[in-house]
Amino acid sequence: MSDAVQLSPLIHLVDDDEAVRNSLALLIGTVGLRVRTWTGPDDFLAGFDGDNVGAILLDVRMPGTSGLAVLETLAARGVDQPVIMMTGHGTVDLCRRAFKSGAAEFLEKPVDDDLLLDTLQKAVRQHVRSRERLRADRIARQRYAQLSEREREVLGLIIGGLTNKEIARALGLSPRTVETHRANLFSKLEADSLAQLIRSYAQLVEEGDAA
Amino acid sequence: MRHKLVWALAWISAWLLLTVAAAVALGTAELQRLRERFEADARVVHRLLSLRAVEHETILATLALLDVPGADAAAQRLPAIYPRVLAVLRREGNLPWGDAARAEALASAEAASRRAGRAWGLVSELGEGRLWVVQASDQASHALRIDLAGMVRAAEWPFAGMDAVRVELSHAGHRWVIQPGAAEQGGWRFQFDKPLTVRSQPFDVVAERRVGWSELPWAYMGAAAALIGGVLVGAALLQQQRVARRRAEELLRLGQRGRLNAMGEVAAGMAHELNQPLTAILASTRAAERLLRDDPADVDAARGAMKAAGEQARRAADVLSRLRRIMERPGGADRIEAVDLRAAVDGALHLVEPQLRRLRIQVRVQGQGTPIVMADPVALDQIIHNLLGNALHALEQVPEPERRLSLTAGAEARDGWLLVADSGPGIPPALRARVFDPFFTTREGGLGLGLSLCETLAAGMDGRLELAAAGDPRRVAAGMPGAAFILSLPLRHQP
Repeated sequence: MSDAVQLSPLIHLVDDDEAVRNSLALLIGTVGLRVRTWTGPDDFLAGFDGDNVGAILLDVRMPGTSGLAVLETLAARGVDQPVIMMTGHGTVDLCRRAFKSGAAEFLEKPVDDDLLLDTLQKAVRQHVRSRERLRADRIARQRYAQLSEREREVLGLIIGGLTNKEIARALGLSPRTVETHRANLFSKLEADSLAQLIRSYAQLVEEGDAA
Repeated sequence: MRHKLVWALAWISAWLLLTVAAAVALGTAELQRLRERFEADARVVHRLLSLRAVEHETILATLALLDVPGADAAAQRLPAIYPRVLAVLRREGNLPWGDAARAEALASAEAASRRAGRAWGLVSELGEGRLWVVQASDQASHALRIDLAGMVRAAEWPFAGMDAVRVELSHAGHRWVIQPGAAEQGGWRFQFDKPLTVRSQPFDVVAERRVGWSELPWAYMGAAAALIGGVLVGAALLQQQRVARRRAEELLRLGQRGRLNAMGEVAAGMAHELNQPLTAILASTRAAERLLRDDPADVDAARGAMKAAGEQARRAADVLSRLRRIMERPGGADRIEAVDLRAAVDGALHLVEPQLRRLRIQVRVQGQGTPIVMADPVALDQIIHNLLGNALHALEQVPEPERRLSLTAGAEARDGWLLVADSGPGIPPALRARVFDPFFTTREGGLGLGLSLCETLAAGMDGRLELAAAGDPRRVAAGMPGAAFILSLPLRHQP
């Protein structure tokens, strides 16, 4: 996954109607989002690659099952792109089932352009954020894994709000040793400040304590 | 099929059960009757035999009493009076009994008689049907030889001619069969066993009645089976009729719902077919707008989008014209024929009869003559059915006693007309102009196509469907406060 791909979100548009596909693609393109069109659920599920940042705009055919089935397949594959459902024949029941199956939004055709574009952009932003969170989380985990046992203890106490002296007393070490551990773990975790350290690693320390 | 079989089995089992129960009851009653009759007859027999036995004692007592010289001759005449008395023996003093062969037995009987001070019976010849009765006396003892068969006279014998009855006298191992009876196997047995109350002749009167299977009241049992069968068949038919009726009502309801579903399908299909081009048009025009707003404006792309939008508008129009072609009834004019308006009304009323009954609606059908109109019978049915459906729906909203429906048929100039009026809440004046508009409805979940379709159908038959004006004399005559519709159709040309 390269950063370049992430910078240019991709909308997957699934609709079996060519005119609808083309016009919506054109409309979505006007706000600078890239669009990849698919002619139907089978086509889409066969060719879809989940690495990209973006969203999926999925047409639900009248009877409603095929669109929902696609949703379920995507969920089973662990796809994290938000899915926006579109239908020309929306019922409350269909809408409820769509949300239950994990749809991010449910739009009725013909769809208002502002609403559609807003929804897509919001979905993309949400996805980008979630991917960034995921990435940061992974990096933090990698760095945290490099810490020694003692350094993890010290980190836990730092995050717990203890001063060096207090930590030294708690662990039966000299304040100088604690000072050294502290410097090492700041460098290993690439933290610039105490605030950043706490923000990035409090969660991990908590998980480590729980484990 | 399986269901039917189960029902048939259930009915047959019910019939079998009831028939068996009835047969048992009838058989038991008959057996009881036979037993009572047998016991009564047996008692009669017992009494008859007792009387005869007492007679023997009386004869002996009389002989002893009248024992004067010369009486012997009279005694010898006894058998003439009592045919069963075969012989009369007399013994005097130390003389032996006249019958040498039985002298000893008679002597011991006489001794017993003397000891007991009463007559004494001698039963050793019971098996041959003979009985001796001995009466000891100071002057002369007498003995009677009785033919047991003679004790019974056919005229007074209650069991005469009854093969199923066996009667015998028995005492101390000796027995005399009065009536042998036929030995029949199976069936039932009634028994009567009672000793004669005459002390000199204490025989047991043993009677046995055999009742064979053939004596059961088969004819009555058969009649009962037939009767029960008849009643059950009647009940089954009634049940079947009820089921059939319920099924018919259900079918009618389903049919109505089915028609609504079909219309819903059409509406949904139409919505989808139109939604696609509308979606494309909206997206294209909005995209074009945005492209032109950009700086610099992408005029070429915008032009392409507008062209696409135009094509999609044409596509939407095509959808509608295709729909209109589907909705058009093929060959409408061919189906026009002469139809009796009153008969059509009756047919339509018959269809909604269950609802009329359920809602307790009072229906009044009036008519001036029987207008024969030119119409497509199916379309006419559909129109009347629709008007009735609307009226029923309106009447559901008023209290039961106020639910009235009036149908009036008549003819006027060149038109036959039908007025359908109800006592429902009526149509608010503000809505009167819109009731025939497609998709106009006041019903929740209604499509609003019924009246619109009816109007189209009426127009297709050169007729009209309209709301009756408040002052219309036909409406005034109906006297209904609710909605009133008038369907007019051309009358058949009089030749």
